[in-house]
Amino acid sequence: MATGNITSAIDSLSAAIHCNIIPQHEYLLQGSILDSQVEHLLHRLKGLCDNVDAGPEPFHDHEVCFSLRAPNQATPTLLLRVRKANDVDAPYQLRYIGQQEVGDRTRPTLVRNSLDIACTSTVVEYLQELGCRIDFEYTNRGYMFRKGRMKITVSKIFKMGGIPTKPGETYTEAISQSYLVELSVLAPTGQDGIGKDMMMFAEQLKPLVQLEKIDYKRLGNIP
Amino acid sequence: MGVTILQPFPNLENKTGPSIIDFLSKRVIALGAQQVGHFLVDCETYTSVPQMSVQPKVVHVLHNSEHPASVFSILETGTKQIALVADLLFDLLILKMTPAYTSKKQTKIESKGPRFELGDFVIKLGIVSMSQTFKGVMVEVEYRPCLIPSMCWDLIREFMQGFMGSHVTNIIPPYFTTPSMMAPNQNKQNDIYQPIDTVQQYLEHFSNYRKLSNPPIMGMRN
Amino acid sequence: MEQLNSALISIKVLRSRVGQVFETLGSGIRLEHGEEGRETKFLMELQELLNAVNNNLRELESTTNGLTPAPFNLGNTSYLSQETTQERQALYSQLVNSYKWIDKIHEYSQLATQVLSGNGLKRSYFNNSNKRRRPLTSCHNVMPHAVDSILNNIDRSLSEMTIKVWRPFATNAIVHVILGRVLKAAFVFKGIMIEWITVKGFDENFDEIDDLWTESRHKVFRNVQNHTHSAMLHFYSPTLPDLAVRSFMVS
Repeated sequence: MATGNITSAIDSLSAAIHCNIIPQHEYLLQGSILDSQVEHLLHRLKGLCDNVDAGPEPFHDHEVCFSLRAPNQATPTLLLRVRKANDVDAPYQLRYIGQQEVGDRTRPTLVRNSLDIACTSTVVEYLQELGCRIDFEYTNRGYMFRKGRMKITVSKIFKMGGIPTKPGETYTEAISQSYLVELSVLAPTGQDGIGKDMMMFAEQLKPLVQLEKIDYKRLGNIP
Repeated sequence: MGVTILQPFPNLENKTGPSIIDFLSKRVIALGAQQVGHFLVDCETYTSVPQMSVQPKVVHVLHNSEHPASVFSILETGTKQIALVADLLFDLLILKMTPAYTSKKQTKIESKGPRFELGDFVIKLGIVSMSQTFKGVMVEVEYRPCLIPSMCWDLIREFMQGFMGSHVTNIIPPYFTTPSMMAPNQNKQNDIYQPIDTVQQYLEHFSNYRKLSNPPIMGMRN
Repeated sequence: MEQLNSALISIKVLRSRVGQVFETLGSGIRLEHGEEGRETKFLMELQELLNAVNNNLRELESTTNGLTPAPFNLGNTSYLSQETTQERQALYSQLVNSYKWIDKIHEYSQLATQVLSGNGLKRSYFNNSNKRRRPLTSCHNVMPHAVDSILNNIDRSLSEMTIKVWRPFATNAIVHVILGRVLKAAFVFKGIMIEWITVKGFDENFDEIDDLWTESRHKVFRNVQNHTHSAMLHFYSPTLPDLAVRSFMVS
């Protein structure tokens, strides 16, 4: 007979928080590259990254940004993103992104709180009924690379052209003449060493693309 | 994963929870079942702060030890129910919603007890308790090979009546005669059974138990 | 046997003697040889040792001559022992093993024929062809499109069932059957004869097309599989009525 003393999910979760194994910090560097030059960058990444045996891994995501506002307050209390893969059959991704941490200035990358949660397709309706407002939405198409625990995406962002009449039939137009390049790592608390690794990697992509830590506050208050 | 039927076991003779569990366990073991571990289903409820909307919205967050990597959440808006299944990290996200949704700690309710296996059946005998107060006993029977409730209800009913006697009704629980969430034009009993269906049955019974709760008992505990 | 033993012993002695010679040669002139005439002393010692080697060699020759010729003939296998490449030296023991297994198979097949001759299973025409004089077409050798048309007929006549045909191994078909929302089954055909059936629950997957040996997680379907196997043997006849009968039995 099993003598299992079953622990509640909350208990095991707090134990996990205690052991620092939950990846809830995102380290991020961003940059951009012109459409005409993106081939060079893809070539460079093919040489540097791990998952290139079968060519670069394409992705095509639809992302909707929600915000939950506390009553009578201008600033949103919670920013949420729902991401859905258009090309493969995968669970929806619900993503929470927190404020960026005001660490010391010498920190090489942007650090912010982040939670990635896979969930069922009811999530959009769920969030809307919960009281969240859709801020904006877009589709994101490009390639994903992996190097160790670093994730590199090279993607183009498209506007949603009105409400699509049928699912899968979306009219979209590009938002700019360049590709967004992101270098990110999800890690548990207290692993700041990864920032240095990311800087080293970013160095190798120069001068094609300049990956930098972007200060969102300076860009103005974008929700 | 198969069809699961949840059945409250009435507490007629005012016995304690463990003694009812003991009584049922003996019967189940006499049928040839073997105990395989324990199980736990818990439910926490959050309500929206009054300023958020006119009608209060209720978020139930449930965990089921049968699906240890998932969190089940059901949002009740008053007019409809929306179910969401997500990763465990969803618990952390709920905590971040505190400005808009607050939890009443004393409404946390759970069902906990031994888990038995007998051939393709799984039997779970759970003591329902709300913040340490005994509320009743619930029996969960799962028949794993089948996915369509209407096809195996008779089998499960017969099996349940075998050890619970006439407390089990002959008609399928009302939960299964409501229209299905995935396909609105057919009943749940003819649809493919999902883990969320188990959780929704639990929620239904938990809500019933909560309504039964009379304040003096709660006061006694505090 | 004793002769062989003594021959082996003399080989050992010869080897150690030769080893001694080389050792002496290798260490050269030593202190024991003293100051005077040490070269001659050393040569004497060497001479002695070589004589001993000669004696041993003669001894070995005489014992080997006394050995009777090999009692059994290994045939071409004997050349295996002369193989020099490293990776092939293990071949001999493998060969011996395979002989052992062949012997075992012989034994089992003899037992099996005894049992089977007691209980006749009509899976082929070879035994009872004298009853039906007409030259029947063989069940094992049917054109693939004939099999397909038969399966299609069955598919059309049973609405509850969906059938998918795969041919991963040349002409022989593997058929996946999904019966309502209750169960899945995989049939292995040899021509038009059913050779194997695997039954699984509706929620279980056949991971590969020819994933045929993993059993269902559920006891019910393992039992159903046993029943289908007995049905398969019972209903065996050239015109394949058993698919229909089987689905009848299940639902």
